[in-house]
Amino acid sequence: MAALGELASLRRSKGVKATPAPVERGDNKAALFFMAPWFIGLFLITAGPLIASLYLSFTDYSLLQPPNWIGFENYERMLGDTRLHNSLRVTFTYVFVSVPLQLAAALGLALLLDRGLRGLAIYRSVYYLPSLLGGSVAIAILWRQIFGTDGLINQVLGFFGIQGQGWVSHPDYALGTLVILNVWTFGSPMIIFLAGLRQIPDMYYEAASIDGAGKLRQFVSITVPLLTPIIFFNLVLQVIGAFQSFTQAFVVSGGTGGPVDSTMFYTLYLYKEGFENFRMGYASGMAWLLLAIVAAMTAVNFLLSKYWVFYND
Amino acid sequence: MTHRTRTHSRPARGTLRVVALGAAAVMALTACAQDPVDNTPEAEQPAEGEEGEATIKFSWWGSDTRHELTQEVLDNFMEEHPDITVVPDFTDWGGYWDKLATTVAGGDAPDVITQEERYLRDYATRGVLADLSEFGDTLDLSNIDESILASGQMEGGQYGVPTGINAYAIVADPQVFADAGVEMPDDSTWTWDDYVEIAAEISANTPDGVYGAQDYGFNEPGFAIFARQRGEALYNEDGSLGFSPETLAEWWEISLRLQETGGTPSAAETVEIDAGGPEQSLVGLNQGAMSFFWTNQLGAITNAAGRDLVLLRHPGESEHERTGMYFKPAMFYSISATSEYPEAAATLVDYLLNDPAAAELLLSDRGLPANTEVRAEVQDQFAEVDQYSAEFLTDLEDEIVDGLPVPPVGAGEVAEITRRINAEVLFGRLSPMDAAEQFIAEVETATQG
Repeated sequence: MAALGELASLRRSKGVKATPAPVERGDNKAALFFMAPWFIGLFLITAGPLIASLYLSFTDYSLLQPPNWIGFENYERMLGDTRLHNSLRVTFTYVFVSVPLQLAAALGLALLLDRGLRGLAIYRSVYYLPSLLGGSVAIAILWRQIFGTDGLINQVLGFFGIQGQGWVSHPDYALGTLVILNVWTFGSPMIIFLAGLRQIPDMYYEAASIDGAGKLRQFVSITVPLLTPIIFFNLVLQVIGAFQSFTQAFVVSGGTGGPVDSTMFYTLYLYKEGFENFRMGYASGMAWLLLAIVAAMTAVNFLLSKYWVFYND
Repeated sequence: MTHRTRTHSRPARGTLRVVALGAAAVMALTACAQDPVDNTPEAEQPAEGEEGEATIKFSWWGSDTRHELTQEVLDNFMEEHPDITVVPDFTDWGGYWDKLATTVAGGDAPDVITQEERYLRDYATRGVLADLSEFGDTLDLSNIDESILASGQMEGGQYGVPTGINAYAIVADPQVFADAGVEMPDDSTWTWDDYVEIAAEISANTPDGVYGAQDYGFNEPGFAIFARQRGEALYNEDGSLGFSPETLAEWWEISLRLQETGGTPSAAETVEIDAGGPEQSLVGLNQGAMSFFWTNQLGAITNAAGRDLVLLRHPGESEHERTGMYFKPAMFYSISATSEYPEAAATLVDYLLNDPAAAELLLSDRGLPANTEVRAEVQDQFAEVDQYSAEFLTDLEDEIVDGLPVPPVGAGEVAEITRRINAEVLFGRLSPMDAAEQFIAEVETATQG
């Protein structure tokens, strides 16, 4: 709702600012030509499957046989599916724990890197690296090794005389290792935070220090308020990304979502229902439920943003 | 203090919001379009040749040993049939079924599909597989043992041909027994209590990290045998469940006793070992005395262990009403109903089943050859390991009462249910009785729709 308002106000302000310059026909064609790849991609790769999955969600499609229309049966089934409820619990826990931690880590490192270090470009690249690797299968396999019974973590703990255990194979800790994996991939929000920090004019800090404000005071009263739009942007993106996490859980748990469904992310359960248990119709319905959840979470984010995001205009 | 001075370098409020909204919309939309992970490299599809030439895809699962052997067999086959090109398509067991379902749905089913009893009915009843009895001379089934051949028949058609037979047994490492100073049991008389005791004793007498036994509860064929020993069954002929919750609870109680007495590793370690497959099982890694596996996996495990292993009957075979062990068709060869080159596919299946040259390479990797003539011909050439498992199976012949009925549709899901509920029991989250009731409820749901 808020978003729609924003769009309207944007349109209004544009209308006031500038009247569109007359465009020649040829320019238009060129624009369409350059936009064509995006349009083709949208319709073939995104919109097509999207609409197909909406249709399939009302069928008993089993992957192997043609679908039959069954109305809302799949959606009714979701109400009683305890494994689905568990997967929602796991996913929400993951999102609510890992996203704030990840943003805090990203902001912390961005603040450190913003101090004009020598060789900043190198540090920036080094800290960005996990973001490129984090979603990959290789890192997830590495993670399984590091947190395994004979893994690196336990060897380090053993050095201090602590008897570790198989972290990824214990239902109480497995999800925690995935949270750590996600926090570790703080690179892209960090880069955005860095850019945001660069946008804050030095004169604010100068004025503040003349007024006698300390570093902490400056951080709380200048940096954070001026950074809230960036924090908000990162929050929205990371929440959406976290809801869709799949690879890490799939690989770390060996495709099982185990032990005892403790790493059964929503997307992983969706995948298993569709491709392993031959319930593609049900899985399609689940995809739409996820879409609704992500949309709702994003809407809530936008609504709440009124109360804490400070736009400096 | 905050300053409300306007700076030109900051993006305007509206722009930022729209960017965030746009990104949000795009990411949400693509939520449904995320690609599943495909961690196996798709084999390059050679270009279609001239007329008369056929390119067929053959899919199977298994260990590295099996991949190497099979590739050798395929190379020989292509030499003999220069007009047929076989593209191999293999993965591990876990990834196999996801990939198969996806390729079938995508209209790109392999021409020759390796099947397993738990999934055969799923695929056959959904029209994916061709009736193999229609290939006549191209695919000769006359030398396959009748009773075994029957395991691939349903609804009036032959949808799979068993590759060979095997049995679910205990793979034991005599070296670990010797190290622990524990005598090898007499496997025709030992009871489940003996099993628990022996496992605990071995764990106690060996260094930390070496165990008496690997947990058995992750695989439901083990329970099928346990139930049969008590005159019950995992599945009845009509596909319904044929055991009481008490029997299943007892099976898990023994599991827990093994864990409590130290005979098996902790629950977390068990989950980890279980994920490693046969080659990284306790016995395969020289870290345990006993693991439950299929007899055709003995070769791969022996390779991994690097020393001689033996096969043992399940405990309790003479403890109750009857014996529980059974011959299982190790796997099935089947042909896609939509294959472009069904004749070429049938030629390959025929070669794999009936050609002694293929059998000489594969030996008992896909079970003791189902073709009795071929079996007799190559048995002498079996490596020591295969010879040994062949003898083990021959010895069992008189003891085995009957085979298992073809599992119901949805039985593939039961493997996962078993694994998950077993973990719940091992981690102490469900009592054996509650676990048994949950298992029954979930399996009934899975096999009914």
